[in-house]
Amino acid sequence: MDDTTLLLALSGLLFVLGLVGVIVRRNLLVMLMFLELMLNGVILSLVVFTQLLGAEAGAVLVFLVFVVAAAEIAIAVPILLLLVRTGHTLDPGAYAGLKG
Amino acid sequence: MNGLLTLLVLLPLAGFLVNGLLGRRLGPVFVNIVGVGLPLAAFGVAVWAWRILETGGAEPLIETVFTWALIGDHAFEVSFYLDRLSAVMALIVTGVGALIHIYSIGYMKGDESYARYFAYLNLFLFFMLLLVLGRSLLVLFVGWEGVGLASYLLIGFWFQDVDKARAGRKAFITNRVGDAGFLLGMFLIFTAVGTLEMDQINQAFAGGLIPAGIATAVGILLFIGATGKSAQIPLHVWLPDAMAGPTPVSALIHAATMVTAGVYLIARMSGVYLEAPAASTLIAVIGLLTAFLAATIALVQTDIKKVLAYSTISQLGFMFLALGVGAYAVAVFHLFTHAFFKAALFLGAGSVIHALSGEQDIRRMGGLARRIPWTSGTFLVATAAIAGLPPLAGFFSKDEILWFALASGQGGSVWLWLLGSLTAFLTALYMFRLYWLVFLGRSRMAPEVAEHVHESPWPMTSVLVVLALFSVIAGWFALPHYLEGALPAPDLRFAWPILHWALILFAVLIAVAGVFAARHLYGNGGQRAEAIEQRFARIHRLLAGKYFVDEVYDRLLQRPWRWVSDRIFLRLGDRLLLDGSLHGLAALARRGAAGLARVQSGSLHWYAWMTLLGLVAVLIWMWRYV
Amino acid sequence: MTIETVFLLVFALGALTGAVAMFFLRHPMRVALALIGTMVSLAAIYAQLGMHVIAVFQILIYVGAVMVFMIYAIMLLDVRDRSFTERFSPLLLAGIAGLLLLLGVLVDGLLRGQPFPAVDVPPDVFGVGAFAIAFMDQFWVYFALTAVLLLVAEIAASAVIDIRRRGQDVAAGQAERENGHG
Repeated sequence: MDDTTLLLALSGLLFVLGLVGVIVRRNLLVMLMFLELMLNGVILSLVVFTQLLGAEAGAVLVFLVFVVAAAEIAIAVPILLLLVRTGHTLDPGAYAGLKG
Repeated sequence: MNGLLTLLVLLPLAGFLVNGLLGRRLGPVFVNIVGVGLPLAAFGVAVWAWRILETGGAEPLIETVFTWALIGDHAFEVSFYLDRLSAVMALIVTGVGALIHIYSIGYMKGDESYARYFAYLNLFLFFMLLLVLGRSLLVLFVGWEGVGLASYLLIGFWFQDVDKARAGRKAFITNRVGDAGFLLGMFLIFTAVGTLEMDQINQAFAGGLIPAGIATAVGILLFIGATGKSAQIPLHVWLPDAMAGPTPVSALIHAATMVTAGVYLIARMSGVYLEAPAASTLIAVIGLLTAFLAATIALVQTDIKKVLAYSTISQLGFMFLALGVGAYAVAVFHLFTHAFFKAALFLGAGSVIHALSGEQDIRRMGGLARRIPWTSGTFLVATAAIAGLPPLAGFFSKDEILWFALASGQGGSVWLWLLGSLTAFLTALYMFRLYWLVFLGRSRMAPEVAEHVHESPWPMTSVLVVLALFSVIAGWFALPHYLEGALPAPDLRFAWPILHWALILFAVLIAVAGVFAARHLYGNGGQRAEAIEQRFARIHRLLAGKYFVDEVYDRLLQRPWRWVSDRIFLRLGDRLLLDGSLHGLAALARRGAAGLARVQSGSLHWYAWMTLLGLVAVLIWMWRYV
Repeated sequence: MTIETVFLLVFALGALTGAVAMFFLRHPMRVALALIGTMVSLAAIYAQLGMHVIAVFQILIYVGAVMVFMIYAIMLLDVRDRSFTERFSPLLLAGIAGLLLLLGVLVDGLLRGQPFPAVDVPPDVFGVGAFAIAFMDQFWVYFALTAVLLLVAEIAASAVIDIRRRGQDVAAGQAERENGHG
């Protein structure tokens, strides 16, 4: 197993763990952190391929993804605060009103 | 002058638009000025255009307005064509039309839809002018359909009365049958010749390049269209019912102009019929049969307008007889004289109905001659004209028709002449029967009606006088001679002047015999007529029932069709198949949506888990197939 | 096995340990610390790969901005509810099944895949200088776009907070009225 495969396996593993974490954990903040974990896994694969191809554009793209992640968390956390202000809980089971 | 024909056509359209949109608000004086003034102006323009035509040596005026459609190499143009034939038609349409507009001022006075009436009447004039002036069959067809529309609107003018509305529908639907034939004929012509300009079609057929079979098919199909519009057997059933409309409408549309459109069409397409002797024979036979059968029905009708309606059908039959034996100009001649005396008769009948406060049954009339002298006098003149008494208009044209029925080299025969003469005798008989029952003898009116009998106002009587005058002199114009350049004339089988004179004498004798027969039967209280009626009760029932054509149509066409519509189209097709499948689809969608809605539980974890499943599926698919 | 590979393995193990630990830690603060550990390990891996710029940004943006923001949120929301007492959601078993399924598919994919070609990379390609020149020369539009995006995010965040404050005012007003009536 070469280094690249190792890192890609790590990337996939982080992504899978992040997704499963979103499913199994109950706390909304923790779920949000697992989302970040998923994103990190994806970024890792992006970095690996960038390095593999020697393309500068990949590095720029990684930087852009960082910025998007920062913007995302800047929006998500206030929304979460607002949610807790009205519902007084971090359990998403309490916010199941939006259903068919 | 350029644009003259377009102006002629557009004047009545302007009247329709102005009266239709504003007439109700601006009051009857305004409606009169627009509704009568514009047809009069149109008549003036028609005369002007006719003068130009004559000074130009009868060279046809062609005026292209715009290109309607350009399909491949074929341009469909809206263009107008004025030769002597269409000039005669345009003059009849605008002249008689304008007179009837004037008459309507008196007749329709006080009607709550006064403006609508004049709007429709102007609309009719517009379409009729489009019909007679169109150079292309397509334009003619637009006018053809348009006059059908105007006829429908005016028959059902008093649409609150269900019977009248139904009569309008009957006219419209019956005409559709004929129009189908007309359309098919047009398609066939376009396939064979590649153009719809009528002068070019005539040239193409006259050039002998078109197979005789096609000429025959086109001839028969166009004649089917003509039987619808001109109320010939078997599509004559709508015209008697069309009498539900206001009487001036019956005079203008259902006697003088629109119903003659079929005659005009066939005269216009004479080039086709010259190549189609079989179709011509059919026309002659149908025309003569119609003339005879309608005349027999007219003998026993008791409604004053119905008698005139069957008389119209009969006279149209005469015209088709002339067309069938190749005497196109003579047919147009009879059309011309008929327009005047039949308009005079209808307007006179309208005046009678007006005087009797709406009474139409001739069994409750009688003795009106002294009470309403103007109406009576003009009616007598027109009756004599239609009966063929010399030197009135009908005598000349009908005599010509009978002469050509015998002597034409294109299908003239003794049988046509014999039956035609018999019909002429019946014409004189039923018309003078009508005159006797309405104007002479003792009064059979209800007393309260008799008290209110009054002569009609001057707009009506003056028009009657003008029309009666024309009923006298219209025959003195040698119209067949005038139309020689525009329409082909048949060869004669024998050109013996003595025979012609003998026939004329015979025709006069026949007409006089008809008059005396009427006097004999109806002169002294109608007792002899009643005796005959009782003796031949079965024949009387057959005639009074109009040969039960409506009933036969009802049995043969209407009921099976209604059954099919109800059972197959409504119950099976509409309710079961269409409604059923649509309701089924709707129910499926509703149930499917209800099922899918359960998936959307509102639980975030559940959504994430389904995302995971979707991801697995995508990955499997990707690695298997991409 | 070269020394680089050993380092990679060590940091990969570190990242994995942090990720797995996130599942079992009860308090969000500890979860956040585990995630920071993972992120730092990843930064080390990036540095190992020669992408120093990325490594620096990973620390700066992720650990320095995102996670600090997250920790503020945790400290602000000191809510003690079911999400604290019960770590796992009702879909725990289903989630584990999904984990196994997804892992199976990924392993299958990795086993099917071709081995990657090894590419020699000149070390200066991903240096700060090269990156800065590439960024400012070729990708300046995207740089500007990210700036706009961040600005939008900032405005949105402050708008959300503004809504919250107004909601509070309304709630406070309601409470007052109820008190007044009571």
